[in-house]
Amino acid sequence: MTLLAVENLSVGYRTRQGLLKAVDGVSFRLDRGKSLGFVGESGCGKTTIGMALLRLLPANAEVLGGRMLFRDRDLMQLSAAEMRQVRWKDIATIFQAAMNALNPVVRVYDQIREAIETHLINLTPADTAARIENLFALVGIPHKRMHDFPHQYSGGMKQRAVIAMALACHPAVIIADEPTTALDVIVQDQILKEIKTIQDEFHIGLIFISHDIGVVAAVCHDIAVMYAGQIVETGKREEVFERPLHPYTRLLLSSHLSIDHTPTAVNLDSGATPNLMHPPPGCRFYSRCPLAESACADNAPVWIEGSRTHRALCNKSRSRRT
Amino acid sequence: MQETRYRFILVQRLLGGWTVFKENPLGIAGIVLLTVFALMALASFFVPLLGPMYNPMTGVDPAISHATAPSWRHPLGTDFIGRDIFTQLLEGAKIAFMVGLSAAFISIVLGTIIGMIAGYTGGITDTLLMRISDMVMVMPSLVILLILAALFGQLSIWTIVLLIALLRWPAVARVIRSQTLSLKHRPFIEAARVSGASHLRVLFRHIMPNVLPLSFLYMTFRVTSAILVEAALAFLGFGDPSQVSWGMMLQWVWKSGHMFQAPYWLLPPGICISLLTLSFYMLGRAMDEVLDPRLRKEEPS
Amino acid sequence: MNIYRYIFQRLIEIAVIFFIIMSILFVLFRLAPGDPVSRMVDPMMTPEDELHLISQLGLDRPLGIQYAYYLKNFFTGHFGVSFHYGEPVHRIILNRLPNTILLFTTSTILAALAGVFLGKIAAWRKGSRLDTTLTIGALVCHTLFVPWFALMLIWLLGYKVGWFPLTGILSPELWIDPNAGFLLKLLDVLHHMLLPLMTLFMIQLGSYLLLMRSSMLGTLREDYIVTARAKGLTEKEIRNRHAARNAALPVITSIGLSLAFSINGGALTETIFTWPGIGKELVFAVGNNDYPLAQACFLLIAAVVLVANLIVDVLYAYLDPRIRY
Repeated sequence: MTLLAVENLSVGYRTRQGLLKAVDGVSFRLDRGKSLGFVGESGCGKTTIGMALLRLLPANAEVLGGRMLFRDRDLMQLSAAEMRQVRWKDIATIFQAAMNALNPVVRVYDQIREAIETHLINLTPADTAARIENLFALVGIPHKRMHDFPHQYSGGMKQRAVIAMALACHPAVIIADEPTTALDVIVQDQILKEIKTIQDEFHIGLIFISHDIGVVAAVCHDIAVMYAGQIVETGKREEVFERPLHPYTRLLLSSHLSIDHTPTAVNLDSGATPNLMHPPPGCRFYSRCPLAESACADNAPVWIEGSRTHRALCNKSRSRRT
Repeated sequence: MQETRYRFILVQRLLGGWTVFKENPLGIAGIVLLTVFALMALASFFVPLLGPMYNPMTGVDPAISHATAPSWRHPLGTDFIGRDIFTQLLEGAKIAFMVGLSAAFISIVLGTIIGMIAGYTGGITDTLLMRISDMVMVMPSLVILLILAALFGQLSIWTIVLLIALLRWPAVARVIRSQTLSLKHRPFIEAARVSGASHLRVLFRHIMPNVLPLSFLYMTFRVTSAILVEAALAFLGFGDPSQVSWGMMLQWVWKSGHMFQAPYWLLPPGICISLLTLSFYMLGRAMDEVLDPRLRKEEPS
Repeated sequence: MNIYRYIFQRLIEIAVIFFIIMSILFVLFRLAPGDPVSRMVDPMMTPEDELHLISQLGLDRPLGIQYAYYLKNFFTGHFGVSFHYGEPVHRIILNRLPNTILLFTTSTILAALAGVFLGKIAAWRKGSRLDTTLTIGALVCHTLFVPWFALMLIWLLGYKVGWFPLTGILSPELWIDPNAGFLLKLLDVLHHMLLPLMTLFMIQLGSYLLLMRSSMLGTLREDYIVTARAKGLTEKEIRNRHAARNAALPVITSIGLSLAFSINGGALTETIFTWPGIGKELVFAVGNNDYPLAQACFLLIAAVVLVANLIVDVLYAYLDPRIRY
């Protein structure tokens, strides 16, 4: 069953110099129980997509076009009050490095309780309490720590608390934006496993946003690679990982598989990042593409198919070869 | 050299800052007002030349010897012994600028030195200096000046300026200290140390130039408090009797009992003090916005 | 950290600081031009009284002993005799202190509450006309020249319109009247208090508003605000429950810092309205060359500043869970 269907979404930011198109014509679907990962370097627009879905964009940003359908309801058409109900109850989020995702002067228990009381108004206090206790148990936070303040938790515990809070209303979709980036590697591993388990158990549709393709590949069924506001490759995890079509994907993978195994951002030394205010007519990756030809600069890239589920946005006929 | 590149970036930031500053209506209003007052202060040098009648302190109109309402000869009227109020107002502008700017300047110098030493040295010196700074910052300056006046009698204007500066440096010191702390670990400082530069040399030759722009930018807030304190002191009757400041003018109108009948005398000095401090303050806040990008209008991340 | 240990540490600190202040004052007293004895002891007193006072204050002893007397006398309440009033200073202080406390605490609390409330709204509607008006209004209040504002209030509301008395804390006729009840006297005091209260309120309001506004603006950028919004809370809930609670904390610390500013303003206000408080006595004493009274007022104000800062710090430690736990 399709939970989310996004068609041709474009989001722009109004800056002093003009309109910056952070997301340009992005389309994807998310099914129940499946996980979709968005990978790309910072500034590629992946976080903006997450924000846009919840209509949490900052004041200077706006949705320029396209539709976002959640269970066939157009999210853009909802009133503010209706959207507030969709938030958290249907679509919840886990943010980067819960360093500051939790209010420092409110106890963790109370913050989770707030989420429940806002949406599940028919629960008795006893039910609410039981539910919260289950949540803490699920993510592995001991009961005696439930009423602590956020600063008393370690980084990993904070992230677990954030996950627990996201699950509080049993949402259909969870958007996880760089949930493990600020954690150390061992904790990162644990959290990722937990996210995966929870997702499987509750059949939650997961959108996982990260700059680290390795992490995304570990957790997600499907991957969408983003560059300069566009999706440049999308497909099943195995397809993208083992048979990447787009040169940018290949660059990401090669930097991931470096000797010291540290996931790094792509080398920025060759060419400039594209101007998102006046995007070039041709391929946006042109200036940094090792396979670029002069034709790529003028002709907009087209979708090439690797399989029924696997495609990439590229001009090169050569890249059809795997 | 990294250091030159840092300074170049600073200049670029200052120029970029101007673009931000321009858009802030408060900053512009502040500059406009300040220009008006500066002109007033300058005018005070020339008006007495029109005739001995217009000397703010001693200029008595032979025809008038009491308070009168505004007229052609005296645009703002005369005070209780027949002196021209408008000239006094101009003189007051001069005094205000003088007091404000000198007190601010001295406290900047003090605050910068102390802040740099505290930030650079760290350890016990830092803690001690910051404790002292906390102590001084908390003390009400007017009250301290009053007790000093009780002990030492009438204070001259320069003593007042110095004392105000001695009480107002902590705020500057704190800012400079945190800036120094962040600079301390920059590569170009370490490079200087490694190449044998003494601490003093590093401090004054490398850190100070990079910290000074910040000091001057915070000068505006020091000016406002200096002007207000001097005016308050003069108002209470403990200022320098040889200087015609706005506070002094208010003291005369109050003590001579003309408060209720002479609004032309009561209103201008008070309005001037408030407007001048307001304009410095607005200027300071506009510059604050330039310095701290978080205060600006939102831009995409 | 244990909050009791924190209080204890701070108490030691302010004791040390106060000790330093007293010592500095003692040194200055000795350094000042003129005869120190006749500065503390009114030469107009009868010789026996004079001698008695001198020995009580230890002015005839060597410097070191004098210093000890000085400290001891402060803590036992022997501040000498006021030149102007001819009464022991401590009696005057005790009489005036409640008036200052009344005026000061009322105005500070009102200004803090109003400042936090308005600052919260201003930040929430940043850029709107309301915000601009509030900000400019706060700026004007903050840079207002107290004596001028006070005089204007007296002129407009006291003289022109005649609604309020011009000076003092009470109407003597009322208080001598044996038939006047408590309520009437209370109202009389409040009636007299209104103008000075308004003055002190206005000058403090500005800084609290501006501070709350900028604190709130900073808080609104934090991630937990985005989380709160993502949780589907209403704007009002976010503003009050999440943003304001965090933003108000720095404002509390600032009460201590802005005390210096408000005490200056308070002294001026009391003087102009002839409100019989510590500030007014200080100013008048300096003008009358009444050093014993001036010194006592000064030291008292210094002590109040230090203690008030301690209270504010403890309050903050109590309210911010990051410190308490």
